[in-house]
Amino acid sequence: MTHIGFFFRLFGWFILRPMGSAKGRTLTVLLGVALGAAVFTSVRLAVHASLEAFHRNMDAVVGRAEQTVLVPGGRVPESLVARLLSHRQVKAASPISTTYVRVAGSDTEPFLLLGFDPLLDRPLRHWRTTDAETPVSAWLDLIRHPGTFIAGSLLAERNGWKTGETTTLLHAGEPMTFRMVGVMAGGGLSAAEGGMVALCDIATFQEFTGWRGAVDRIDLILAPGETAAAVQALKKDLPKEVQIRPASRTRESGRMMIRAYQLNLSILSFASLFVGTFLVYSLVALNAASRRKETAILRSLGASPRMVFALFLVEGTALGLMGWLLAIPVSGLLLPFLLEGVSETVSTLFVRVSVPGFSLSAWEVLLSFTVTVAVAGAAAVQPSAEAMKVPPREVLAVIGRRGVPDRQTKRLTLAGLLMIAGVWPLARLPGPTGLALPGYAATMLLFIGFAMISPAVLRRLGRSVSIPLRRLAGTPAYLAGRYVKDSGTRTAVSVGALITAVALFVSLVIMIHSFRETVKLWVEQTVSGDLFVASRLAEVNDFRDPMTRDQIALLHSLSDEAEIVASRRFSLLYDGRVPYTLQAMAMDPFLRHGDFVWMRGDARASRPALVQGRGVVISEVFANRTGLSVGDRFRQPLQGTAVKLPVLGIIRDYRTQGGVVFFAFSALQAQLGDVRWTGARLYLRDSSGWTAAELRNALLERGGGSMDMVLGKDLRGEILRIFDETFAVTTVLLFIALAVAALGIATTLTILVLERYRELNTLYAVGGSSLQLRTMILWEALLIVSVGEAAGLVCGFLLSHILIFVINRQSFGWTFLYRVDWSALALSVPLVIAVALAAALPAFRAVFRQPPAAMLRER
Amino acid sequence: MSGESKPLIIAESLSREYTLGETRVVGVNRIDWSVAAGELVVVKGNSGSGKSTLLSLLAGLDRPTGGRLIVSGWDVSRLSDKHLTQYRRKTVGMVFQSFNLMPTLNVMENVCLPALLAGEPYDAVRERADGHLRRLGMERRFDHLPSQLSGGEMQRTAIARALINDPAIVLADEPTGNLDSRNGTVVMDLLADLHRTDGRTVIIATHSDMADAHATVEVELKDGGIV
Repeated sequence: MTHIGFFFRLFGWFILRPMGSAKGRTLTVLLGVALGAAVFTSVRLAVHASLEAFHRNMDAVVGRAEQTVLVPGGRVPESLVARLLSHRQVKAASPISTTYVRVAGSDTEPFLLLGFDPLLDRPLRHWRTTDAETPVSAWLDLIRHPGTFIAGSLLAERNGWKTGETTTLLHAGEPMTFRMVGVMAGGGLSAAEGGMVALCDIATFQEFTGWRGAVDRIDLILAPGETAAAVQALKKDLPKEVQIRPASRTRESGRMMIRAYQLNLSILSFASLFVGTFLVYSLVALNAASRRKETAILRSLGASPRMVFALFLVEGTALGLMGWLLAIPVSGLLLPFLLEGVSETVSTLFVRVSVPGFSLSAWEVLLSFTVTVAVAGAAAVQPSAEAMKVPPREVLAVIGRRGVPDRQTKRLTLAGLLMIAGVWPLARLPGPTGLALPGYAATMLLFIGFAMISPAVLRRLGRSVSIPLRRLAGTPAYLAGRYVKDSGTRTAVSVGALITAVALFVSLVIMIHSFRETVKLWVEQTVSGDLFVASRLAEVNDFRDPMTRDQIALLHSLSDEAEIVASRRFSLLYDGRVPYTLQAMAMDPFLRHGDFVWMRGDARASRPALVQGRGVVISEVFANRTGLSVGDRFRQPLQGTAVKLPVLGIIRDYRTQGGVVFFAFSALQAQLGDVRWTGARLYLRDSSGWTAAELRNALLERGGGSMDMVLGKDLRGEILRIFDETFAVTTVLLFIALAVAALGIATTLTILVLERYRELNTLYAVGGSSLQLRTMILWEALLIVSVGEAAGLVCGFLLSHILIFVINRQSFGWTFLYRVDWSALALSVPLVIAVALAAALPAFRAVFRQPPAAMLRER
Repeated sequence: MSGESKPLIIAESLSREYTLGETRVVGVNRIDWSVAAGELVVVKGNSGSGKSTLLSLLAGLDRPTGGRLIVSGWDVSRLSDKHLTQYRRKTVGMVFQSFNLMPTLNVMENVCLPALLAGEPYDAVRERADGHLRRLGMERRFDHLPSQLSGGEMQRTAIARALINDPAIVLADEPTGNLDSRNGTVVMDLLADLHRTDGRTVIIATHSDMADAHATVEVELKDGGIV
């Protein structure tokens, strides 16, 4: 105990006190660590809030259901409820239907309407009404009075509804007037969709949606006993088209998708923290170097090497701890922005979430604390190890030691090159589905590898440019080159930080550009069409509701003006595990006006087979998730039949929820008989002389107001807008990483100046002018930044390949065409150099912080 | 002090005061002093007596807070930054106790440095540096880094560096302070040789008695004033 007390007293004397006298430097490092920690923490908390909201929603909607009965691509006959209730393996069964609806004449966002049997559902889901506003028995009104609903509290509040008031709701079919008989309170179903939910009786739901006699699914609680045996017994007794699945399956696939997104953002945000740790290294290394004499005195007075090591290690850890504390208010500023951006992205890309706010997760706070303190401590290990090697005899020495032995640089270079060589094999290792762990491990290896070879690059650059620089730019430039050559790991650390930031910048610029260009190509070819029509709220309801016969007839009435490509979509699970969309489409007109972006397969030979319904094309995501490839047979049970067709090709597709499989509408009709469309795209005939807007107006005039319609141009623009918004968070994180790297450059250059005050003052004493000294610092900064920029560019190009062809594939299942945005990169080069050189300003000011005459007073 | 020749250094009521926190410290206190060209002056005194302050004023590393200092015709107390740089380049050469060699430059480059800073071409300077280093017995050490030299060799390199611009005055601050007696004697002999052979003015601030035998003028400082 006494020993620990003494250690911390010594820590206060030896580490904290000098920190106080270098407040600017310490604060800069703390700011860098705080920014990194704040980004990491806020990103984690923001994604955690989305994940929590998703879990709350799923828990509320799934309730205590153990198994779910459903028909892939269709609906379950309601008559099965009675059969299931009487089955010996079933303890409780509840029919459920859900759909998103909208309030007529209002711009409010759609909300979830859940139709259920309030009596049968009681064992499965918990919910209650607010006692103050409605009688406890209000739920009975749902059964007694058709056209009634009970609203979630947020929904009622947003619409200003009071109990007993009526409102008209819109769905794919006819509008219907509902009366609100209560407001939900407490947990359970009231938490679904963050409170943007309404409950109605299943009969009311069927009357409203037109799906009489059918429900989306039947949730079950099984009788006590072995689940697998019970499920098998149930399967035997159920019709062939009906499937039975664990109720948690949807939750699991959604959770996995959000988790993958969380990992991606966590790694990206960790980059800021990683860059921040370079600052910790710089400061601890400076302190260890500048206090060499004091360290030798401590050693001569009896301090063990271990104690010296511990002192500097605790310094790094303390910087991490203080940086983390400083990150708390910074996170408070970042979190609202990230919360909104992340929840929008999750809703757009994966699953619809409604995030009311963030809850402080003890686990996330602990993780952020541990990661920040641990990486800061890890950054201090090497300088601490150097400090512990200071021999006590150095207390008598006058000249300090400097420079990195050549052998050490060679070892670092060799290790760095080996790491870089190992990047691609590591990236190619198989990892858990949806989690790009090998890709991220390879990325870290790449960063560390480049940081390790940077001393050798600096040495080589310094050696090769110093003489030409003397001829071109005079002695200051020459001295800068010589210094950079011999500066060793101290400068290399700063270069490493810059390499990391530039590489991230370059790779993400390339990735985002490649992604956007590929999506643009996909949008232009595959999302072709002048007008897209679908049943009302089709998009938000996953195109589950077919268009009415009247709507289809209305479209047919315009067939002289426009060619119609009918389509029908089904949201399904392949092999009971991979969520995807099966889309039947009139291939002949589609392929005449547009095309798929083919990746594999013979496009020319496959098109006729596709038109004739003799095969399917599958998206890259679907191929990667299922392992299916060209020539394999695609099999999918569908409404009591089965689609069994060969895979003709693999295409690019960037729909947000899993993969997609396309086949001919005619083949679907042959399989299922009369098939209603869920949507259609219209191509204007040249002979019509109409514009797309005129076509839409014509449809509206003829009663098409009950359909969702969007101009092809607007839809394509909207897809690209969503794309750009999705990457807004990424761009912000990117600039924060660059800002932290600039802080790193500022700190390192200042440290290098302060560390060399004796040399700089000697230069002054032997005739160097202030301008020459500052020019030398500028050249040093320029050389350091040039190496960082050049190595960062190389590292960035390598990283962009990993991002596009490994991490995206491992995370989302897709890759893109590799496209480099040369103009953005060309603009970024002066930007990065300007930022880094601006970071040299504090070093300029530090040049004569110690007056030259101090050299003569120092003994 | 030599009375016959024209003074190379003239100090009139020369003062330098520092502020350390709230305390005013007098480094040099109203010194009136002159040194003729070609003298070897040994400045002695205890720690805090003002030796280093006087040397830093003479070296153009610091400016007086009072009085005047004229060196080789330069009024050091009134020089602009630009002219002060010229003064350091042309008029004085400094030798430090801690040698202060650039650790990343080899011996030849260290010696050439002041001339390169003054804008001279490397090849011409190199020839001159070669001569100085040979004279100081460093001909086998041209490509060595300071870390590969002994203390005596480092100080000889520093002396060669001080001579490269052919200054009127060589200032040495405790030049033997970090050397053993043998190397100390060698260095002191070399400095004396500069005075004796080249007729150069040499000013040595030291605690040591080694320089006494070579001194033409000896000055004792106490509390910032000449005793």
